[in-house]
Amino acid sequence: MTTKATAARPDAPSGQGERNAASRPDGTANAAAGTHEGEFVVDHVFHGYIAAGRKTEVLNDVSFRIDPGHVACVVGPSGCGKSTLLGLAAGLLRPSGGALRWDGAPVAIGRNPHLGMAFQQPGLFPWMSVRENVAIGLRTRGQTRRDARRIADEFLATVVLADFKDAYPNQLSGGMAQRAGIARALALRPRLLLLDEPFAAVDAFTRLKLQQEFKALLKLDRPTVLFVTHDVPEAIALGDVIVVMTQRPASVQRIIPVTREDRDRASPAYARKLAQTLECLGVTSDVQD
Amino acid sequence: MKRHVHVVMRRIVLPLVGVACVLAVWQATLSWYRLPPIVLPSPWSVATTLGELVRTVAFWHDMGVSLFEFVCGYSIGVVLGVGLGLLMGEWRHFRMAATPVVESLRFVVPFAWIPLTILWFGTSYVGKILLVAYAVFFVMVVSTTRAVAQVEPTLSRVGTMLGMNAWRLAWQVHLRAAAPTLASAARAAAAIGWIAVVAAEYIGASAGLGLMITNAATSLTTSVVIGGMIVIGIVGAGVSAAIGAVSRAWLDYR
Repeated sequence: MTTKATAARPDAPSGQGERNAASRPDGTANAAAGTHEGEFVVDHVFHGYIAAGRKTEVLNDVSFRIDPGHVACVVGPSGCGKSTLLGLAAGLLRPSGGALRWDGAPVAIGRNPHLGMAFQQPGLFPWMSVRENVAIGLRTRGQTRRDARRIADEFLATVVLADFKDAYPNQLSGGMAQRAGIARALALRPRLLLLDEPFAAVDAFTRLKLQQEFKALLKLDRPTVLFVTHDVPEAIALGDVIVVMTQRPASVQRIIPVTREDRDRASPAYARKLAQTLECLGVTSDVQD
Repeated sequence: MKRHVHVVMRRIVLPLVGVACVLAVWQATLSWYRLPPIVLPSPWSVATTLGELVRTVAFWHDMGVSLFEFVCGYSIGVVLGVGLGLLMGEWRHFRMAATPVVESLRFVVPFAWIPLTILWFGTSYVGKILLVAYAVFFVMVVSTTRAVAQVEPTLSRVGTMLGMNAWRLAWQVHLRAAAPTLASAARAAAAIGWIAVVAAEYIGASAGLGLMITNAATSLTTSVVIGGMIVIGIVGAGVSAAIGAVSRAWLDYR
């Protein structure tokens, strides 16, 4: 029943020497240009860890590609390895097999100046004010103190935290802390943006508002985005493609493209996309016509 | 007004009740067994002796020497202990190499080294300073190693994501995140360090509070012995409170 979509598969999956040849079966996107700038590729990635003497497979042959400036939303059952995928994309973990490529080159382990990431737990430094938390990354990436503060203030204003810039993280609610974490990632103006359920701790109404703000912010720099979420409507609202993962050990079950019309919540197209995605996740609609 | 009374009650009256109880037991024991002053002087005579003592230059010299030895040894011990603990926490191979040495040496109490320090450094400051540094060092190494290793992993990932290299991560994130644990360890280490100074002076010193007390004991001026003990206690509590105040100011984000 799962016709594995090839719409956004990585090029030359098993290619040894012919990777740069124009041998893309799908012939999408920047194939003609021959550059991989801004392109993020997950190429037959395996990942597992050994705990208590037992090997646990988390990712089992995951492949997909995000075109430059596009947003891919990864949805899947809890614990299927979505966060692991982000860790790999950020160079915080090393894959057991396969490769992740950014700009056509393998993702380096450790520091990656091109990327910004918002974590599931915001991970704000408790000894710094909210503003310092946003500014510190700009400082380590070479901005002057004054510029870092100015940019931090700007991005805190966009996530509606301007009044809390001098507060310490323990004075923030869960949703506010998450917003500060998003501001910290966005303020870096990354070319690759990785988000791990960034709106999870935010109430439903604020979440919708933040999604809109977020879309507007993306227009600014057009980063390539890998967005992990539980929320299918959110995936439709923000994604250019939805990558549906299977249960652990996870592989890609389906890649669902999202069009402009699909995002109109009042349209039948939206309902169809929602139903289709949910069905992939094993949720069928009870009411049949 | 009512609130003010409450504060006075808690800050002044209640602590005094504790002190008064001890003094009462002391005086009662003395009267009940009819002990001569040479065995146990009265609280009042100890107080008068202390009053006389603090007017002598020798007392302040002894106090100064003890505090000097303590401050030097404590600083050395904290800096080296935190430094080594950070290295052990960050660098797994180093931890594996250093753990057997640290784990076995930390159970050799500082006092076991006193004969050797006297043999090597005589009754000079150096031996005491090293002894305090030694005592403080192990407290700090063990707690720093543990605190650094237990830092929330998300904070390390955030640091890497923000572009920090290993040194910055260790220094700006791990050590800073461990600060609350280190502050309480530093306070515990101060108590142990202060005990080590005085104990070392009891056995061999040319000046210091410990020497003052042993001299008084040999000349059977018991009130000076007890007065000296009280001074040691008060100074120790003062040092501990000072370190507590400094660390609270530094950790005001909590």
